[in-house]
Amino acid sequence: MARMKFLCDADRCIECNACVTACKNEHDVPWGINRRRVVTINDGKPGERSVSMACMHCTDAPCAAVCPVDCFYTTADAVVLHSKDLCIGCGYCFYACPFGAPQYPRVGNFGSRGKMDKCTFCAAGPEGDSTEIEYAKYGANRLAEGKLPLCAEMCSTKSLLAGDGEIIAAIYKERVTQRGYGSGAWGWQTAYRETIDV
Amino acid sequence: MQEKQQTAMNRRSFLRAFGGASTTAVAAAAVTLTPGEAQAYDPGEEETRARYRETEHVKAFYRVNGYETLKK
Repeated sequence: MARMKFLCDADRCIECNACVTACKNEHDVPWGINRRRVVTINDGKPGERSVSMACMHCTDAPCAAVCPVDCFYTTADAVVLHSKDLCIGCGYCFYACPFGAPQYPRVGNFGSRGKMDKCTFCAAGPEGDSTEIEYAKYGANRLAEGKLPLCAEMCSTKSLLAGDGEIIAAIYKERVTQRGYGSGAWGWQTAYRETIDV
Repeated sequence: MQEKQQTAMNRRSFLRAFGGASTTAVAAAAVTLTPGEAQAYDPGEEETRARYRETEHVKAFYRVNGYETLKK
């Protein structure tokens, strides 16, 4: 069974934000919420890097682990989704997620967070496929239409890859081999140690 | 004055009696409304089934992204 994954080739990302715009437009994402965003490190300096970040659809998702109402579920193709009917807007998932994926609307009264919103890998939610209710709550269900997330399909430099983890990993591995530098483990030296061989 | 005090006493005794009755009622309700076991959200098989299909559209995406590296 294919497992859905995102992979951002940091050597190719030029911080154009097309992925962010495409996502917001495709899913009619509310004000104050960005399901995807581009993080730039050392902006304007030599060695500048940009990475497009969204929900990474973790295998053992910390958001699901901390949810007090257990509104998260993982589909057979490894996409982490949630039910907005069950969500109580407590914000635990926001603090648990290492990628800052779960977001809350900022239009409610003081102290109220509303319903959590996050990247769905363009697979929407538990309502019927491609229905109006589903679209209003979660956005488009491109996976059910036989397509992939629009952020990846729109990427102008082919930096953001999405789809079957094994296939996109093979594409990336070949890229790294051919260009002879960089790796899928960009940032490991920061996270672990300078001497790590990647 | 005497009458006023009498009224106050009545009110207090009423509240005491009412409070006692309501406590009993709450206790009775607690006995009858025993909550069932908590159940985790189960979205069902239809919702969790795989949506991903390797359609021509998806194959084109892989082909375009691996155009410079993957074997044609």
